[in-house]
Amino acid sequence: MRKQDDTTFLALLGLIAEGARSICVGLHITAINFFRPSVCERYPRRDGKPDWQPRPGYRGDFALISDAERPGGLRCIACLQCQNICPDKCIHITPTGKGKERHPKQFLIDAGLCMYCWLCVEVCPVAALTMTPDYETSTDRPEKLIRTLEQLRERGKEYPEPLKVEMARADATSVAPTERRGD
Amino acid sequence: MGPQHPSTHGVLRLILTIDGEKVRSVVPDIGYLHSSLEKIAEQLDYRQYLPYADRYDYLNAMGNELCYVRAVETLLGIEPTPRCQWIRVMMAEMNRIASHLVYYGALAIDTGATTVLLYCFREREMLLNLFEAAAGQRLMYHYFRVGGLRNDLPPDFCEGLRAFCKVFPRMVAEYDKLLTKNRIFRSRTESVGYLSPETALAYGVTGPCLRGAGVPYDVRRADPYYVYPELEFDVPTYTESDSMARHLVRQEEMLQSVRILEQCLDHLPGGEVNVKVPRRLKPDPGEVYARVESPRGELGCYLVSDGSDHPYRLHMRTPSYYNLQAYPEMCTDAWIADLVAILGSVDIMLGDVDR
Repeated sequence: MRKQDDTTFLALLGLIAEGARSICVGLHITAINFFRPSVCERYPRRDGKPDWQPRPGYRGDFALISDAERPGGLRCIACLQCQNICPDKCIHITPTGKGKERHPKQFLIDAGLCMYCWLCVEVCPVAALTMTPDYETSTDRPEKLIRTLEQLRERGKEYPEPLKVEMARADATSVAPTERRGD
Repeated sequence: MGPQHPSTHGVLRLILTIDGEKVRSVVPDIGYLHSSLEKIAEQLDYRQYLPYADRYDYLNAMGNELCYVRAVETLLGIEPTPRCQWIRVMMAEMNRIASHLVYYGALAIDTGATTVLLYCFREREMLLNLFEAAAGQRLMYHYFRVGGLRNDLPPDFCEGLRAFCKVFPRMVAEYDKLLTKNRIFRSRTESVGYLSPETALAYGVTGPCLRGAGVPYDVRRADPYYVYPELEFDVPTYTESDSMARHLVRQEEMLQSVRILEQCLDHLPGGEVNVKVPRRLKPDPGEVYARVESPRGELGCYLVSDGSDHPYRLHMRTPSYYNLQAYPEMCTDAWIADLVAILGSVDIMLGDVDR
């Protein structure tokens, strides 16, 4: 509770003076910030510069990596490991072919259910499934969020290899060089 | 009041009994954000559940992962590598700063100052960019793995963090001048929302709310995990027990976290980040309770295993839930206008309350 003596005339005057001082200090700080560079970025950019691009390793839309020598033209061997590890159960694969010929006949990913956790990419034994930095995935109806084999193959053509985070090596540590990673 | 009131920090409904402008009683009505996260754990295996751990307290995703991963690793008897431990501590502290920055801006908005939020988000952006570079996403990181991390740090991460550590204390001084020293803000928070240490302890309140009431309890000191015993930092404690005390604790904590980050950067060892873990995680039957200090208080994870590859039972002791229970005590005889400001100073996270 506020103290009782706050209501005396002098105390009130003091409060007003203090409040006015606070406002001046605040305005001073906002004035300083007015001259600092802006951190906001326009999206979509209109000045011809490229839009913001995420770093490699960003968990965006899916792609299947191509491999011309394999049946189906994909690296995927339809081992169903991604389907099994997916916590949301949003991957559905129909495999076809026997042994080394095994490849997916259909590969559906419901991007509306997916929470982009990267587990499917991590578990893939042949590095066939990957996530790309494409983040513009919003559509007007939920059916369009289901990625089919064809869509995944198309996007995979832009990515010959899965994008990985560049690892810190020499500059990752400040201890003696002998202990550094990779040495 | 609520559940869609713009300043209730999520979907919270407050049932008020009022006498004129005075509040006689407050009953928080929770559960609007219930998503049965604990039940989901019983259907998924230990690895698959990790991304869900992010979704309890979405402003402190790294801290939640840390808690869950610690519980699973204790159950399996896995010890992460030193480099991994340092990186995990670093990430948790970065997330603490990011979370406190959102709190700072939100409290400012609750008391009628909008500028501070924009400045706080500007600094938070630096941290989110670092998280994005390392984990691949900006909010739901899913960076920790059982036995390690998703990947090692990207090459320019340490430089970016050093740059942040250099500017940030100056920025906190600026917020301090702009908000904390402001006469209007002080009138709104000083001697408002009193919570006595006895009541706080009785309700199980932890974190800045408890330290603001004069009890120097911090899990990082009371039950140190990972590399915290080697780190030098203070546990800020204020005895005024009002909204301002809780606010000052958080402000001080941000600076202490910067201190920890600087030490982490200096001591970060080399080596691998991942240890080998079996393909199927099947811990022996047993139970474990792991706790960490989240920005909101003591975050605990109670995990029971029956020997299969999925948890028999998972319970998260989420600090916001306990802190919210003490909220009616703080509001005794408060003015209606102060309710939102007090709620802001408790810093609850509804995803954390309802889970």
